[in-house]
Parts: sequence; structure tokens; C-alpha cells
Amino acid sequence: MYLEAVDIHVAYDCVRALQGVSVSLDKGEIVTLIGANGAGKTSILRAITALKSIQGGSILFDGEPIDRLSTVEIVARGIVMVPEGRHVFPLMTVKDNLMMGAFLRKDKAQIAKSLEMVLGLFPRLRERIGQVAGTMSGGEQQMLVIGRGLMAKPKLLLLDEPSLGVAPLFVQEIARAIVDINREEKMSIILVEQNSRMALKISHRAYVLVTGKIVLGGESGALYKDERVRHAYLGGSVE
Amino acid sequence: MGQVLFNGMYTGVQYSLIALGLTLIFSLMNVLNFAHGQLYVLGGFVTYYVYGGMKLPFFAALLASALTLAAVGCLFQIFFFRPVMRRSVREESSMLLSAGTAMMVESLVLIFFGEKHRGVPAVVNGVYELGGVFVPKGRLLVMGLSFLCMVAFILFMRYTKPGRALRAMAQDSETACLMGVNTARYAILGWALAAMLAGIAGAILVPISGVNSGLGNWISIKTFIMVMIGGAGVISGAIAGGLVLGIIESLGYHFFPGGETYLIIFVGLIVFLAVRPNGLMGKAV
Repeated sequence: MYLEAVDIHVAYDCVRALQGVSVSLDKGEIVTLIGANGAGKTSILRAITALKSIQGGSILFDGEPIDRLSTVEIVARGIVMVPEGRHVFPLMTVKDNLMMGAFLRKDKAQIAKSLEMVLGLFPRLRERIGQVAGTMSGGEQQMLVIGRGLMAKPKLLLLDEPSLGVAPLFVQEIARAIVDINREEKMSIILVEQNSRMALKISHRAYVLVTGKIVLGGESGALYKDERVRHAYLGGSVE
Repeated sequence: MGQVLFNGMYTGVQYSLIALGLTLIFSLMNVLNFAHGQLYVLGGFVTYYVYGGMKLPFFAALLASALTLAAVGCLFQIFFFRPVMRRSVREESSMLLSAGTAMMVESLVLIFFGEKHRGVPAVVNGVYELGGVFVPKGRLLVMGLSFLCMVAFILFMRYTKPGRALRAMAQDSETACLMGVNTARYAILGWALAAMLAGIAGAILVPISGVNSGLGNWISIKTFIMVMIGGAGVISGAIAGGLVLGIIESLGYHFFPGGETYLIIFVGLIVFLAVRPNGLMGKAV
């Protein structure tokens, strides 16, 4: 396994957000975490990136424990998180935002290559390259934060709710981009989503979280057809 | 009138330089630095000793002030603000701490440098006269140096990698961390830069106005006014606020030599903030 989080526990003050969660990912996979608001999906990502320290369990990446490292060290190892809620740097231009993504990289030629790749993936960002990021629409900002994450050339990309508050047209474009980077760049991805339908369609495997515990896991295709999942997360409709 | 405006510009440019440091700390760390004026005074005393006392060239003194204050800024962050902010759950703690450091620096300056007002010989002598306005060369030098420092600071923030990291951190600290910015280290850099700007401002003013240990609080308060006028946390706001306050002050001293100037400024500020709570350049919350 490329990433292996085993039996992790996370608590905020007295609230136990994760109660012994185990999640794994193979190289090249898209794994999605679905579940209701507050189920602990984001907590898993924050635990992996050490934004939140874990009270129990262990996290291995590429065979090495990473749960004692700082966020900066984890980013340096190639795990990059795109936070929820379109956290662009609002007063910086699109270009400066993207360059911040490549903060730890020194290879100028390779950075220029990544920039081309990102602008090819999201042509809209090329049109807006000089614009101040805070003045763009929600969907454009979401593309920017994904692009900024890609500028780090991550080995493992963690996406937190990329479709949240984004117009339906943009959701499609973002979903297509996620599939593209997974195929073309061979990038492993963990996708946290409330839009379970989209998430299950584009991922290889999925975990279902309910109040800090994993209740279901398996191939996304199988889960998509699972009665319980359909009922709870896909609005119960049958196609 | 030209003279009054020139004097205002002269004061304003220095004020802008002081306000830049305050606004940098505020936007990076959310700390309102009550000790900013005291850092300015300390910078002035370093130059007083190196230039006035040791008779070294003025620019050596300026450099000494800048480096000393940068070091003091680092120590502030490492020994005071970092440990306190890590433990505290309330944002006000940082205010109380900065007020405490202000008293500490002021007392130390008093102990080591005494209570006397200190001045040094002028760096350049002579006066230009331009269309009825008297422009002393020394003041021109102060304006030039302040202007240079501001330009250098803006270029640094805008076009260098550390500058970009500082801006990113000011706008969204956690996300900057996710980009690999070592925020603990950059907080130290931010403090060093801010204290250095205050120190330079103090240093370049000694040859003209001199310095004494009691100036600090008044300077801090004036800096708060500038930042409120311009808008907190914005570079352009600090510069605009400094210039505006300098010019208003100069006009005030001209028309109300009796000392009502700051009374009027404070009343004006209250009205201004009621209309524009975010200042001239501040963004809406």
C-alpha cells in the first residue's frame, strides 16, 4: 500500500472526530471518502497532513511513518492537500497563487512545465493569469486551488470537497480534470466529497464514514449499486 | 502654504515607513504591536551612539540600527510572542504582551541610555530654496532614505520568493503552511523586517529631531492612527495613512499653533471611521 492510515483517533477538545479509522490507497488510485457533514472526512485529510495531530494509530506513506512529521515535511514528501472552501490567496494574482504551489520546488524548467500543464488543464486560468484571485467566481477559484496544488507536483493529492458551492457546469469540468490528472500524471488522489454520485463515478475505491467510523468500503462501482449507499447518499433514486 | 505642504510630506514619508512595520506585524500575526514606537526609539539610540558617540559614518550607524533592531525583532518572536501565542487561547493575550514589551523596552532604554533628549550633528548642512519653499538638505536626505526603504520593501514583498511567502502567510496562514511555507520561521522574518523598519525610521530622524526614551508611546499611538486612516494590514494603506497624517499634522500646526491639532485629528478620526470603518484602502470585512 502506498498510503496506509491504521486505526487513527482524532479529537477536537472533547468531541471525538475519528474513532479508529483505517484507510489505505494504492499507487495510482483515486480513493474517495463519502459521508454526511461532520462524519470526519476532512479530519482524515487533516490528520494525514499533520494539520491535526492524531491521538492514536499510525500513518505510513511509501513505507515510512509520517505521523510524527510537521506539515511542511509532509508537503516536502509529496503529499499536498487542497483545502475545502476555495482557500485562494485573495489579494494575489492567479500567477502568484500558482507559483506559491511550487514553493518548495527549485527546478525552474520543471516548474514552467507544471505551469503549462495546469493552464492546459484549466484554460480559464490562462485567461485570468493576471487577475487578482479574490475577484474570480467560485468555480474559477476552485480550479485555481486545484491547479495550485498540482504546481507542487504531488505524489499524493488530497482534495477536500472540490465541488462544494460550485456551479454544476464547473463540477463536470473539475471531475474531468481529476480523472485527467490521475490518468495522465499517474497521480494518486484521495477525494473527499459530499457529491457522492460524482465521487463514486470517478473513483476506484470508496469508504463511507458515519460519525467518525468507517461503515462500508470497497470498489466504487459496487458501492454505487449498494442499496444502503443509494438510500443514504444518492438520494435513493434508481436510474 | 508650499512650506507647510513640504513639511507635511517630510513628516508623512517617515510616518509611512513606521506604519509599514506595524501593518506587517498586524497582517502576519494579528498582533497589534504596542512596542512599535519603542523599537523606533531604540533604533534612534543605536544611531546616537554609533554616529554621535563613536563618530562612525552615518551610514554605518544606520546599518547598525537596522541590524540591531532586526535582531531584537527575532528575539521578540522567539522568546515572547511564539511561546505566548502557542499557549494562549485568546487573541487579546498578544495585545497585553505587546503592551508589556513596550514597557520593558522603554525601561531598558531609560536604564541604558538615560532620560535626556539626545541629538547628533547634522549629516549634511545647507538649505535649498525652491520657489519660496525652504528645503533643508538634511530633510531631503531623510525623505530620500525613507522613500528608498519603502520602495525596497515593496519590491521585496512583491518580487521575491520570501516576500511572496510572507504575503501568502498574511492572507491565509494555514494554506501557506500547506504550500510548504515554514510559518514559524517566516514569523521570525516578519518580526525582524518590521522591527528593522521601525529602527531605520528612528535612526534617520536622530540627526534632525533627536531622540529620547519617552517618545515611544506617542509614536505608537500616531502609528495606530495612520494604520486606521489607511486601513489595517494593507501596504498601500500604511503608506497613504502616513502621508495623510503627516500633511494634516503640518496643516494643523500651521493653523492651530496652540496645540489643538491632535484634538481635532482624534475627533476627525472618529467621524472618519464612522463613515469608513476599514480606512482608505482597507477591504470590507
